[in-house]
Amino acid sequence: MVFAVDWAGVAQQVVAGLSSGGIYAILAVAFVLIYRATGVVNFAQGELAMFSTFVAWTLTQHGFGYWPAFVVTVLASFAGGIALERVVIRPVEKASVLTIAIVTIGLFFIVNGAAFWIWSPEVKSMPNAFSTRPIRIAGVAFSISDLGIIGVSLLAVLVLWLFFRFTKLGLAMRAAALNPESSRLTGIRVSWTIALGWGLATALGAVAGLMAAPPLGSFDQNFMQPILLYAFAGAVLGGIDSALGAVIGSLVLGVFLNLLGTYVSWVGTDLRQAAALAVILGVLLVRPAGLLGTTAVRRV
Amino acid sequence: MGAMGKSRVLFGVLSALVIVSAASAGGSSTPGVTAKQILIGGTTPLSGPASAYAAVAKGADAYFKYVNDHGGVLGRSIKYKYEDDAYDPSQTIAKVRDLVQSDKVFAIYNTLGTEQNLAVRSYLNQLKVPQLLVASGASTWGNDYKKYPWTIGYQPSYRGEAAIYGRYIAKTRPTARIGILYQNDAYGKELIAGLQRGLGKKAKLIVSKQGYDVTDTDVKSQIARLKSKKVNTLMVFATPKFAIQSYSSARLLGWRPLVFVNVVASASNTMTIAALASSKRQTEGSISLAFLKDPINPRWVNDKAVKLFRTILKKYNGGEGLTDYYNVYGMSSAFTLVDALKHSGKNPTRASVMHAVTHLNERNNPFVLPGIVVKTTATNRFPITQARLERYHNGQWVYFGPLVHVG
Amino acid sequence: MSRVLRVATGVVIAAAAVALVLVLPHWLSDAKAAELARAGCFFIAIIGLNLVTGYTGQISLGQGALMAVGAYTTAILTADHGFRDLWTIPLAGLVAMAAGFAVGLPARRLSGLYLALATFAFAVAMPALLKRFSSLTGGSQGINLFDQALNRSTGALGHVHVLGRTVATNDFLFYLTWGIGLVLAGAAWLLVRGRIGRAFRAVRDSEVAAASAGINTGFYKTLAFGISGFYAGVGGSLFVLASNWFVSPSTFGFDKSLLLIVGAVVGGLGSLAGMALGALFIQFVPDWAANLSNAPGAPSVFFGAAIVLVMILLPGGLGGLLRRLTEPLTRRL
Repeated sequence: MVFAVDWAGVAQQVVAGLSSGGIYAILAVAFVLIYRATGVVNFAQGELAMFSTFVAWTLTQHGFGYWPAFVVTVLASFAGGIALERVVIRPVEKASVLTIAIVTIGLFFIVNGAAFWIWSPEVKSMPNAFSTRPIRIAGVAFSISDLGIIGVSLLAVLVLWLFFRFTKLGLAMRAAALNPESSRLTGIRVSWTIALGWGLATALGAVAGLMAAPPLGSFDQNFMQPILLYAFAGAVLGGIDSALGAVIGSLVLGVFLNLLGTYVSWVGTDLRQAAALAVILGVLLVRPAGLLGTTAVRRV
Repeated sequence: MGAMGKSRVLFGVLSALVIVSAASAGGSSTPGVTAKQILIGGTTPLSGPASAYAAVAKGADAYFKYVNDHGGVLGRSIKYKYEDDAYDPSQTIAKVRDLVQSDKVFAIYNTLGTEQNLAVRSYLNQLKVPQLLVASGASTWGNDYKKYPWTIGYQPSYRGEAAIYGRYIAKTRPTARIGILYQNDAYGKELIAGLQRGLGKKAKLIVSKQGYDVTDTDVKSQIARLKSKKVNTLMVFATPKFAIQSYSSARLLGWRPLVFVNVVASASNTMTIAALASSKRQTEGSISLAFLKDPINPRWVNDKAVKLFRTILKKYNGGEGLTDYYNVYGMSSAFTLVDALKHSGKNPTRASVMHAVTHLNERNNPFVLPGIVVKTTATNRFPITQARLERYHNGQWVYFGPLVHVG
Repeated sequence: MSRVLRVATGVVIAAAAVALVLVLPHWLSDAKAAELARAGCFFIAIIGLNLVTGYTGQISLGQGALMAVGAYTTAILTADHGFRDLWTIPLAGLVAMAAGFAVGLPARRLSGLYLALATFAFAVAMPALLKRFSSLTGGSQGINLFDQALNRSTGALGHVHVLGRTVATNDFLFYLTWGIGLVLAGAAWLLVRGRIGRAFRAVRDSEVAAASAGINTGFYKTLAFGISGFYAGVGGSLFVLASNWFVSPSTFGFDKSLLLIVGAVVGGLGSLAGMALGALFIQFVPDWAANLSNAPGAPSVFFGAAIVLVMILLPGGLGGLLRRLTEPLTRRL
């Protein structure tokens, strides 16, 4: 039994895990945003983020630096998300949740296919957002990239929280999500709040994709799919009706996955996904509403 | 004769009858061959985790178009129909079956991937459809020809390649600590076997093997574990996407071992991306093997073959892929196929092309390194068995040492 | 409309379906028969999915993984243990049924999104598990029955002798899959109209109300998963036979589960005829899309667009459209 634990190594892995978790958290919040507003599971969330990342990549190939491309892409994704909702989702707004979910699956295929069609399948690399050199804190070498991603994730979530808490528009969106009927009566254009929700979610997705691509080294059109899986899992773990839960669930998941991958070698990377999901399901069986979720009281 | 024997005979007769009737439905005595055209087919990962290899088909296609514009082969033009299997053997089977049964191709050619080709090998051999110039270095294509006489590979075997690395390490770094990042399938495992053979008694220098799955997102944890075992010699037995990630993940951990990167991932354009994704220092000194002329190597910039390569791509591929090494592979393979077809007689049949392709003696393939002879015999089914070691220096591959035998 | 007439219409439709299946191969090319055979496998799996998602209201994103269980059962028994492939079909169904029950047990406590995640996890884990237990499953190389299965009923090309007659292989596969499909569809039809079906719908419409009415909701939820497993297993088993006797972990990845749920909803949940249309949709529309353009990604775009269009124009799915078209006919009688 070894008692001399490599604390520096553990600290590095925890930070790395928080960095991955941060990316999942951004996507999870995007996911929860749409789910809470419309009850819809947006299967295309990851692909939209991927598409935004490819757009940003194209900009970097035409002289844009990483951060200018980032800003342009996030804004364009916001607009794109609103347009998408108006064109594709609005027509089926009144249909069953399952129908809308299938529409998002169709969107998944469209966006994924479009990305292959427009950009060749050749391997691509995204310029780094942050320096790749390590930084020493308390004698342990941490990756600036990891710390930067954690910072951006927290910032994105904070900005969103401020928006929902302190702005009129944010309040209107929360009201519309909670009770569309009454909100309409007070003059809130519920349909447009949904479109706005999609815009915000797509913009968040772009942030997630742009954070995820550089550390990978090479990325292709399928790179967001596992991230969406973990974001979904993290959101459910935290309690699907709580954005804070989505963030915490995702961070916990990120750290857990990283520690699992590094220290438990018999769980190969192929089973890592399954193992993480199994653990989440275990949690759900004990707390069916997730760590921070509230069990809804339903009228019969 | 027992019931099974009878049904096998019946099956054989019926297959022959069906093939003959299918052929006569095509209006000539051989499927896929008409007076004006030879139709060949294959699958390539145009999408999916191995899409970096799409150029293997595109380069060949461009070369065939060039040949067609210059008289074709014995008066016939070559039509190459390649389909996307997304590196998934189930899709390979479906597409190959369609090519054979619906399109009635003359032969299956240049299908990429070890497991992908394994999935269709028995099917093609039972139907006696040539499985030509398989784009995979697994040694089974050359070794198991008695059981599968209609199959033949092309590139140097993975086992032989890794054995060369093993012998080199045993000779020059006898105290190395070797770690292996490998793709967890037949291709990756064969490279490991070759390395162990080449190391011989020094096989115990291998201190860690970390596998990854083609469906994995990244190899960060594998690299982390290899680093933790104090590996100083890293074997990257991986496809381009993951090879690039091994460099970038190592860089993020501040780890710089000596890297041996396998042929299928050491193309110059892949290495350039790897250097961008990690750093110039990270890729410096990496070692690999080469048997084709690299289009961005300054040594070949004015070479006749590379100039032809560029001309062909500009005319028939929209000018794309001028830096893509896999296009060179495609053209080299296409050159060899054309060579074989030229020796298949005035009216090629499946049997005659198999005979031609197992009796190659090609000294004039412009795309392979000087001195390499593309040669096969009835008992030696490895067309290319020579290569040169190369080292990555200042963003270019530089050859060192003589031509080595890969086997 | 009077009950007698409704029953009579049902019988006529059933008879027409049987006749269609018997006669169709004469007009079809060999390749088309093979494709339709594969569509038949999806048809069976989608019926099962319809029972658990449409009738019992439980989202299952794992139907593809249950198909994999059936497929591998057939592959392993035929290749490694010398079973006759046709006899493994019901066995595959039973093994997948057991797997379905296993999935259904924890599902009792979960609903909606949480259930979706659970079945999603199952679908994601399946290829990984299949690769991990490679001594049993052949690992990532999969199982190729071509070499090994001496007890195959069908040859590579050519003919099959059955019931004293000679039939082309692909025609035989067509009859096999759609024949079994019709029988299982009939069984599902009976199930849905019986007590179990009513219990399923009660659970779907309001679990709380069903429980207060004395229905053991947990039991029926698990049962639904089990039955859907049986259907998926049979579908998966037939799929191996109809796809050149090859199965690998990537054959039934998560994308298959996604495709099946698309097929179920596009077909129109709650409509058995719709299930056939849904199966044909997911089998043929990707092919048509590929014919439009072979550029990488283009077929996906067209397929996705087709899904979106159908859902926007026909929220009740293709089955809903069928019902609307045939209603005026039957109303007039």
